[in-house]
Amino acid sequence: MVRVGIPRALSYYQYYPGWKAFFEALGAETVVSPPTNKDIFTAGNSRAVAETCLPVKIFFGHVISLADKCDYMFIPALRSLGQKAYYCSKFIGLPDMTRALVPECPTILDPEMDLNKGRRSLYHVIYSLGSHFSSDKSRFKKALEQAEKAHLAYRKEMSDRGITPVQVLDKIHQVEGKSYLEPDMSTGLSIAVIGHQYVIYDDYVNHRLISRLQAMGVRIFTPEMAEQEALDNAMTELGGTPHWSFEADIIGAGEHYLEAKVDGIISVAVFGCGPDSMLIEMVRHRASEFRTPFLHLSLDEHTSEGGLLTRLEAFLDMVRRRRRLCA
Amino acid sequence: MRVGIPHCGHAYIIAEALVQKLGNGESELIIPPPTSHRTLDLGVKYSPVEACLPFKLTLGNLIEACELGADTLIHARGTGVCRLGYYVKEQEQIIRDLGYDAHFLTLDVSQHRFTSIMHLVKNLTNDAPWPKIISALRFALEKLFALDKMEKVVHKVRAVELEKGRANQIYREAVKAIGEATTVRGVKNATKEYIKKLDQMPRDPTADPVKVSIVGEVFVVLDPFANMDIEMELGKLGVEVERTMSLSRWVKYRLFLNYLGVNEWKDVHEAAMPYLRRNVGGDGWESVGEKVVYARNGYDGVVHLAPFTCMPEIVAQNIMPSTKEDIPVLTVLYDEQMARPGMITRLEAFVDLLKFRRKRRRR
Repeated sequence: MVRVGIPRALSYYQYYPGWKAFFEALGAETVVSPPTNKDIFTAGNSRAVAETCLPVKIFFGHVISLADKCDYMFIPALRSLGQKAYYCSKFIGLPDMTRALVPECPTILDPEMDLNKGRRSLYHVIYSLGSHFSSDKSRFKKALEQAEKAHLAYRKEMSDRGITPVQVLDKIHQVEGKSYLEPDMSTGLSIAVIGHQYVIYDDYVNHRLISRLQAMGVRIFTPEMAEQEALDNAMTELGGTPHWSFEADIIGAGEHYLEAKVDGIISVAVFGCGPDSMLIEMVRHRASEFRTPFLHLSLDEHTSEGGLLTRLEAFLDMVRRRRRLCA
Repeated sequence: MRVGIPHCGHAYIIAEALVQKLGNGESELIIPPPTSHRTLDLGVKYSPVEACLPFKLTLGNLIEACELGADTLIHARGTGVCRLGYYVKEQEQIIRDLGYDAHFLTLDVSQHRFTSIMHLVKNLTNDAPWPKIISALRFALEKLFALDKMEKVVHKVRAVELEKGRANQIYREAVKAIGEATTVRGVKNATKEYIKKLDQMPRDPTADPVKVSIVGEVFVVLDPFANMDIEMELGKLGVEVERTMSLSRWVKYRLFLNYLGVNEWKDVHEAAMPYLRRNVGGDGWESVGEKVVYARNGYDGVVHLAPFTCMPEIVAQNIMPSTKEDIPVLTVLYDEQMARPGMITRLEAFVDLLKFRRKRRRR
């Protein structure tokens, strides 16, 4: 069976179930790299220029770890997946950067996704992607439908059950024996964690932020736990038409959870992220208008676990005290 | 209405020339003082920490315009993936928080074309008659083209002048004379006169300057404050500088020739194709392509300029080293922390390397 490598980084967290369904419908098998570890990080870090942001460096590490385990590497060039809203340059240039930095990488499948060009052009892209696997064109459309279905089901499972992508993805990968803390619904603080999926859910990047918060008795809310529509609405009300594809995940989620009166907001971003340097500022501004405590964590390859922990504890102490005083 | 604009190199000359010809009408043009360290400090103080340098500098300009009483601010907006699309949203908020009552007029540099710019001019000049606007625009563009032409010449002369600093002096005089000219003929004469002066300057007959091209993100490439006069510093080191990008070229193609289906970057994009197959926003695609083109044309090196954390240029920076066309590239990243001596040291080392390579190749 043809094996398609999918690096466990960047848009993996958002689209993996859809991609898996697509390739399986075409009779291929998907191979995913292991969760980020030190080797992956070091390998990626040594290839990219220093100014590249951490998640992209890690992405290259994942590609390197998969290079000899698959026949194709799937790295879509994501340009736009919504009306006139775009992805960051680094997503668009990802396949070409990989080609330049990881020469040992097998053939890269790099469909360019731009929904602004209309449905027709999407089919065109899917056809040329599918032709690597099958000559039977009728299977492509079916595969695309399956992918859409799987993606919507994935999205729905997260918002219905209020769980994180990692929990759903672990189920897909059949990871067993891993326990997830059940959040304490009654007494815990409610904190919204805002940021890109590849930052919030990569435990290597954020030093296990989510499980730490949960262990501290906090009920966390992430962008995926709200319905997509709610995020979009909150964003449109605030800022009009989006400029970036993931604006709803940052500004929309911030606004949505501020209106839902969470006890505090923690925004997590990596140093050097272009879009976040602008978007987080908007959330911070709104949080100060709502008078909701706001903590911004800027992460990079040097972030120390101890420093992060101290800041988290101090922030939570402050939120708890504030709640007691207001009650 | 008092209209303020941000700076980018000598772009202000267009606005100034238009006002010179059309008068102020009901609206008054406020050109903020030239970008200075105060501008930068203001921009840095009120911008998000991780915003890019062009954001901070233009914000500083706009705040300084507001201090002079501007109530309407013109700013560029782009669609696509770069942060430029977000500038206006964010700067509007910051300026409002500072207590200025100003609103923004956005000029979409990727969509608004000639007609909408003309209408903007017409509105701002209180409905001046079309023939007058067109002749004023011609005058403004004449100045812009003249300045860019002067720049091109001075880039070459600086490298070989006998009396160091003379070319700069003439160039500064030329900018002043062109700025003060009041007619198209006056601009033309001034240009001719100063180009002649530069041509007649005594040159070092033994000079054998290395040739370097400047590529990168448009704002830091075009704004001498942002790039700390890198072209002049290279000239001082005896380097002949070439750059494709210029304001006049942008105007010529974006406002006119692109309509006719001419793509000024076609060759550059084709050259980039084997390494970067698509537009990544900003000027990333062009940077990669230009490296290849200049390498083929026998240049000694490329100096690649970008603001710190610029997304499209990081893509370019990652790809550039792997091109088959081998030519040294020095990437210089700019932010508010950067100091001129640091840049000069790096340039000196780079130029030494280029000279060494050239010597080895000729042997």
